[in-house]
Amino acid sequence: MLSVRNIVKQYATHRALDNVSLEVEKGKIFGLLGPNGAGKTSLIRIITQITAPDSGDVFLNGERLNTKHISQIGYLPEERGLYKKMEIGEQVLYLSKLKGLHSSEATKRIRYWFEKLEMKDWWNKKVEDLSKGMQQKVQFVATVLHQPELIILDEPFSGFDPVNADIIKNEILELNKNGATFIFSTHRMESVEELCDNIALINKSQKILDGAVDDIKASYRSNTYWVEYEGNYTLSNNEVFQVLQTEVVKEHTLVKLKLQENRTANEALIQLLPHVNIHRLDEVIPTMNDIFIEKVKGQNHE
Amino acid sequence: MNKILLIIQREYLSRVKKKSFIIMTFLTPLLIAGVYGLIGYFTYKGIKDTHDSVAVVSNNKTLTEQLQTDKNISYTYLNSDLEKAKKTLNKSDYDYVLYLPEFSLEEPKGIELFGAKQAGLSLNKRIASDIEELIRNQKLKQSGISQSDLDKLKTDVDITTKKIAETGDEQESSAGASSFIAFTAGILMFMFIMLYGVQVMRGVIEEKTSRIIEVMVSSVKPFQLMMGKIIGIALVGLTQFMLWIVLTLTISTAVVSIFVGKEDIKKISANTQVQGQIAQANPSMAAATTQAGPIGDIQKSLAGLDVGKIVCVFIFFFLGGYLFYSALYAAIGSAVDSETETQQFMMPVMMPLLLGYALSLSVVTNDPYGSTAFWLSMIPFTSPIAMVVRIPYGVANWELSLSMIILVLGFIGTVWMAGRIYRVGILMYGKKTTFKEMFKWFTYKN
Repeated sequence: MLSVRNIVKQYATHRALDNVSLEVEKGKIFGLLGPNGAGKTSLIRIITQITAPDSGDVFLNGERLNTKHISQIGYLPEERGLYKKMEIGEQVLYLSKLKGLHSSEATKRIRYWFEKLEMKDWWNKKVEDLSKGMQQKVQFVATVLHQPELIILDEPFSGFDPVNADIIKNEILELNKNGATFIFSTHRMESVEELCDNIALINKSQKILDGAVDDIKASYRSNTYWVEYEGNYTLSNNEVFQVLQTEVVKEHTLVKLKLQENRTANEALIQLLPHVNIHRLDEVIPTMNDIFIEKVKGQNHE
Repeated sequence: MNKILLIIQREYLSRVKKKSFIIMTFLTPLLIAGVYGLIGYFTYKGIKDTHDSVAVVSNNKTLTEQLQTDKNISYTYLNSDLEKAKKTLNKSDYDYVLYLPEFSLEEPKGIELFGAKQAGLSLNKRIASDIEELIRNQKLKQSGISQSDLDKLKTDVDITTKKIAETGDEQESSAGASSFIAFTAGILMFMFIMLYGVQVMRGVIEEKTSRIIEVMVSSVKPFQLMMGKIIGIALVGLTQFMLWIVLTLTISTAVVSIFVGKEDIKKISANTQVQGQIAQANPSMAAATTQAGPIGDIQKSLAGLDVGKIVCVFIFFFLGGYLFYSALYAAIGSAVDSETETQQFMMPVMMPLLLGYALSLSVVTNDPYGSTAFWLSMIPFTSPIAMVVRIPYGVANWELSLSMIILVLGFIGTVWMAGRIYRVGILMYGKKTTFKEMFKWFTYKN
């Protein structure tokens, strides 16, 4: 649905994006990850047509990005706000009219959303009278009101309490089920694992990793397993595995094994079965957080 | 285009609906009218009410005439001697005792004025000028001029200034009226550009600090947002200006007719003529009497001035000057994070405006056709003020057109320039901006 091809963006002496390409499939939730200053916001600003790239192209549904697409994209920036002196209803109405919605249709939809998110009495309130969490809700409504095909959320959960964060998460999932494509820009890796289908990792202006979350995690498997068994039989290195760590907890022993090259977990089990009573075998899979840190740190050390 | 209209609408309505706008709009003409009403009232009252009665003790045999009583001063000649008059002064109806000793016409000395209160400067001068007139008449008589000839000596000269228009038509004009209108227009223009330019800046800063800006620019182009704001606020300015004109005219008329009836206006002008002579010797009174002067003049020669043209030119130059400066203000607003940081950028923008204002009200009003006036009214930084100051005196059409064209080119230039700075500045947070930085933004590609 969204295709970013060889984007370069240069600011005076600083190159914000260096030949970045990525593909976002329709109906997916895409995570755009990267440390601060990596170029995420620059990329989002290009997709939302706030700025233009120096070179490279962006295609939405096979069409080169143009002003028509503004109404098909909803953007919730990280630095977000509202007009303090304006009434909530009027404000959301104004923002949705700027996205090309007609007054009557917009009013209908605002009422629907306000009802849904328990904001019914807010219409005539001024922004300055709302708490930060409440303002976030208003901003979320303003972002999705014009039913965009592509919704870009930059740190959507910052500022929400757990209850409201959960409400918003469910709304995101529901919108996604109904066909909306999402791009998430975030540092919060737990929400990435929970929500995202695909990710791209940007560091120092370059894309250093992308793909489906499951595939990436799979590729970061290190053939390491936790094995738990009864008794305190001591394992030693052999041709199938290497013992990395041993812990004894009460009657049980926990051992971290790393398989030798081209060996499988089954072969390790065969080695163990004659000696011990196995309780549990878990593969050690890195979290997105581990991958993120490893990748970014690795690159920064170069 | 539709989006710009939406932005204009919001910028306009959100300001016009504000309480402060309504209060300002309705209060300002009341204040202006009130101040003028009060000045008029007190001037009138001052002229009417100033009345001093002076008892005159004269030992003077040289002067054959007596001091003449009129509306503001009455002279009563007493037959008692000075000491007695001084002693009874506090119990008498007189305010002052004037002592005229015997003196020679060449060297009138020893004249004294006694009063329970200190005599004011204007009274002092008034009496002095009355005595001087007596002495002058006495001298004239001594040289053999008869009383009837003396009376004939007084002539009133009234110069009607006429300007020959390019068409050859003669137009009655008035230096007083022209300068009055020039001053008012100059001050108004300065005020308007400052007031509304700063409003644009504030609006931009507000959008930046409240962080709505990034939401906005994902829907509209930064340039649309900037122009929408600038135009919206210009309409607020025009609305206020129109309301002020209408309200000021209505209220002033009302105030004038309440405080000063029509009869009284006639009396004032009659007084003014009577007092013309005194005014010459009496600066403070002169100031008071000339107050009535230009106002009367204005009414008389408004017909001579092309009011329609002046108003149109004013509106054109207000819009032009406002666009020119507000674009700069918008650029400043986009470059800073809060209003306190605007100082360093405000100065270079304020300076030409202030300079234009100061020069227009001094040099240009004195010499509306000089080369300073010409250049000030051509350079777009100063032309909005200089031109409205010049226009009541009459400006050649080619000059006016040229100045208008330069101003239009000027504001297209500043709007374009500001647009380039604005689009980068609004997305920069928490960085202290310098001029160098702003120049860098200017050179950025999209």
